[in-house]
Amino acid sequence: MPSGGAATLAGAPAAEAARPRRRRNYARRYAWFIVPAAVVVVAVIVFPWAFTLYVSAFDWRLGGERRWVGLANYAALFGDARFGWAMLRTLLYTALAVVFPLVLGLAAALAFHRRFPLRGLARAVFILPMMATPVAVALVWTMMFHPQLGVLNWLLTTAGLPPSMWVYSANTVIPTLVMVEVWHWTPLVMLLLLGGLAALPVDPYEAAKIDGATPWQAFRHVTLPLLMPFIVVALIIRTIDALKAFDTIYVITQGGPGSASETINIFLYLQAFAFYNMGYASAVVVVFFAIIMALAALLLWTRQRVKLA
Amino acid sequence: MRSITRRTALGGGAALLSAPAIVEKAGAQSAFDWRRFRGERIEVTVQLSPRGQLLQQAGKEFEDLTGIKLGLEVVPEQQHRQKTIVEFASGRPSFDVTEVSLHVNKRQVGKARWCADVKALVADPALTAPDFDFADFGEGMVKYATQADGRMDTLPAFADYFILYYNKELLAARNVEVPKTWDEMFEAAKRLTDASKQVHGHVGRGLKNANVVLWSSYLLGTPQRDMIDANRQLITDTPDAVWAGETYRKFLRDVSPPGSIGFNWNECQTTFMQGRAAMWVDGIGFAAPLEDRTRSRVAGKVGYALVPRGPGPEHHCALFGAGYGIPEASRKKGPAWLFIQWALSKPMQLRMLADGRGVPARASPFRNEEAIGRSHFPREFFQTLEASSKIARAGLPEIVPVTQFRDVVGTALTNTISGADVAAELKRATAEFRPVLEQSERET
Amino acid sequence: MRRLLERLGFGFAVLVLVSPAVLVFLWMLSLSLKTELDNTAWPPVFIPDPPTLDNYREVFARNDFLLYAWNSVVVSVSSTLLALAVGVPAGYGIAKMQAVRAAALILVARITPGLSYLIPLFLLFQWLELTGTLFPIVITHLVITVPIVVWVMISFFEGLPGELEEAALVDGATIWQAFRHVALPLARPGITVATILAFIFSWNNFVFAMVLAGRETRTLPVAVNNMLTFEQIAWGPLSAAALLVTLPVLLLTLLAQKQIVAGLTAGGVKGA
Repeated sequence: MPSGGAATLAGAPAAEAARPRRRRNYARRYAWFIVPAAVVVVAVIVFPWAFTLYVSAFDWRLGGERRWVGLANYAALFGDARFGWAMLRTLLYTALAVVFPLVLGLAAALAFHRRFPLRGLARAVFILPMMATPVAVALVWTMMFHPQLGVLNWLLTTAGLPPSMWVYSANTVIPTLVMVEVWHWTPLVMLLLLGGLAALPVDPYEAAKIDGATPWQAFRHVTLPLLMPFIVVALIIRTIDALKAFDTIYVITQGGPGSASETINIFLYLQAFAFYNMGYASAVVVVFFAIIMALAALLLWTRQRVKLA
Repeated sequence: MRSITRRTALGGGAALLSAPAIVEKAGAQSAFDWRRFRGERIEVTVQLSPRGQLLQQAGKEFEDLTGIKLGLEVVPEQQHRQKTIVEFASGRPSFDVTEVSLHVNKRQVGKARWCADVKALVADPALTAPDFDFADFGEGMVKYATQADGRMDTLPAFADYFILYYNKELLAARNVEVPKTWDEMFEAAKRLTDASKQVHGHVGRGLKNANVVLWSSYLLGTPQRDMIDANRQLITDTPDAVWAGETYRKFLRDVSPPGSIGFNWNECQTTFMQGRAAMWVDGIGFAAPLEDRTRSRVAGKVGYALVPRGPGPEHHCALFGAGYGIPEASRKKGPAWLFIQWALSKPMQLRMLADGRGVPARASPFRNEEAIGRSHFPREFFQTLEASSKIARAGLPEIVPVTQFRDVVGTALTNTISGADVAAELKRATAEFRPVLEQSERET
Repeated sequence: MRRLLERLGFGFAVLVLVSPAVLVFLWMLSLSLKTELDNTAWPPVFIPDPPTLDNYREVFARNDFLLYAWNSVVVSVSSTLLALAVGVPAGYGIAKMQAVRAAALILVARITPGLSYLIPLFLLFQWLELTGTLFPIVITHLVITVPIVVWVMISFFEGLPGELEEAALVDGATIWQAFRHVALPLARPGITVATILAFIFSWNNFVFAMVLAGRETRTLPVAVNNMLTFEQIAWGPLSAAALLVTLPVLLLTLLAQKQIVAGLTAGGVKGA
């Protein structure tokens, strides 16, 4: 999904932007354009936040009574080893699901930046995965992963390689899920970087050519630095999306085997919709959200640094 | 069809086809008015299973009989449980009848008093057909559906027992007898394993949560049998529990296909169906797909037996089951009750059994020799069911946080497959779950 | 010679890049056209022989597939249109005002995991007695579509030259007229992209409908996941259903790939 954003994450309420001004400031008059969107955002986005924050102060199991406990849910959360592990797994998953799409996406972008026959078609096919319905594709992946009857193990054994347990072993489940994520989202990275390549100036390359640089040197010392702002944008988008990953993991493993792929989102889902611990689940949302915001702020700060450099 | 009398119909397989006609006829005889709520509309939600699909296929017959418009929703079990609990808790459930998994949600639903007491409805002659015959429901199932305070908030619909499925060809090829004890079964599984053909002696649930019921099948064979004691304290780290855990580990680690750690019923089913595993202990509902020639390579070769015995004096198989209940908040309890009477009527329950869709809660279908004789399921299957019904015992503890219990213990069991120490894992899981149980018991 | 080798190598590299995408969809197609026995056969059967349409028949026979398809269309179209109605002007306003904070708020909406909206929104709709209709699903899908539309539109409006609008304003047009008659027609490519992307991501969404949809309001992704039945697995029908669900967006992608590529590259870059 396209995003990025010149924004600092100060998080001011939208109402401020929408407040009518008496002063006849030229730019301010455009505020009215934002009002309808601001209303929608407040209704469907801000209200849930406020509610979640409120519920997180209760001990509330669906069907049981609601009891005010203040910050006890948060205290419990920080002592909950399972939450800690889920957090670590999320970070591991995120790191892998950011690095691989970035590397592969960059390679793909360089390839698609060149002209070759059937480029349009190849590019269209390449971006299909990011448009495919994740749930539908996840179900097909599940069938392919079956250790005895799945097509992937047949391919491996036919190629003379040992079969893999894919999502059926605690050791391989996260890399396997990352593989699905890479399949899905590398195209997005490719598109973002392709846009960056198209916008690069031509002069530095000619200078490099005159200096007798090899293609690798040109890439390393010209393309990569010029492309860096775009890579950082892709990095931010990927990080956010990887942290949010839920559909595929839920459909393929539901956090298993054991809890080997239980990321924060799965943990949250279990607490809320399997154990019906609404208060505790809300506290998870709040903490997780704070972490995402902190990471996003860090990445945006990095981007400012890259821009200045 | 109207000409068929009730006796002849019930006496034979014709009942499979003429259910509504019979019920209507019976109604006419006794002047019970099935159509008193015609024109109303009810919403029913059940789990996606062969039983749910039966209701789906026959739903039209209910509409014809009563003139009530039926909105039937069939949802996979996990989503179903989640949806009904969330809707119950909201105070405004969208359904008038729901299936309740007794082994998971009984106590939760009972504690919150979400469902109306069906005993009162059964006793009301204006609402209950005279041939309903409540006494036909098996004693065990009635007890299973009754809450501790004596209320019966669901009418029992069907039971599910764990049984032993085996591949007759594979056993015959190696001259292996059908095992009678868990130890025998393990030895048999070892002999049946043929790595060169990628055939495994055993397949079973390794996936967390789903696997707890397999472990409980072993535990039921020990002197201890249960997971909580009479004082409602956890006893899941005792020597008997550890024995069950060790048994679980050796079956899953030593004689099952690699990757079993992530197997739920569907992976087990696929493996068994392909003739790649010789023995499988799981719920009875899988007989239907296993005997389906369009998808199963073992159709006609499947053997059915009671689960093996453990070291304890008693022989038990794990019992699960469901009932149909009416939300206290429903404004259409009358039509809803008519639906339940129809859905769990004698002909419908007979159909459930004869089609191999499940074990009916009523006793009469088992006595219907003719219908059983006509079924394409082997007689051995029905014998196994009947024998299982006599030794069935709850396969999960009757507590509110069942899902969390299965999650915590299931994780421990899964860890043992990867080599963790059984006693240590069960000790850890028990310590982790104890406060959760204590809190939920305090609230009761 | 070296050039030829290089070209071959490059062609091979492109093939390697593209093949995972192609193979997964082809395998999906193959599964959907085979019998259940062939689908679980070992070694796998790749080419359906003979191909069967039974799986597709079963999908339509067993489910209200057309109803769910219709629900998906209604939800995706309404949430996209609503998002365009509020998002296009908002994008314009934010671009003109350089309203960094408003933009940040919408970015935050994009960051928040969808799951976290579910509990409160579910309780809210229950309280308003709206569950059982498509309305809650449309509203929750705005969480996805509005940020997409706003972000794509900000970058498009930022990229437009301001002179024409300024000329219109000097001629006495109101800012609304300048927007309506000058900026909007110029931004049409941006609107196209925003529409396509909002539609696709709304179509693909699973979480919201999973919790909020009832019997008659299910969307396709939920319906497909619900086909994983207890006690029976059916790889063929499952693949057939999966393919049917994802086919519309795949076709849309192939048809509109130029616009999508333009929109995504612009959206990511201009925001930077």
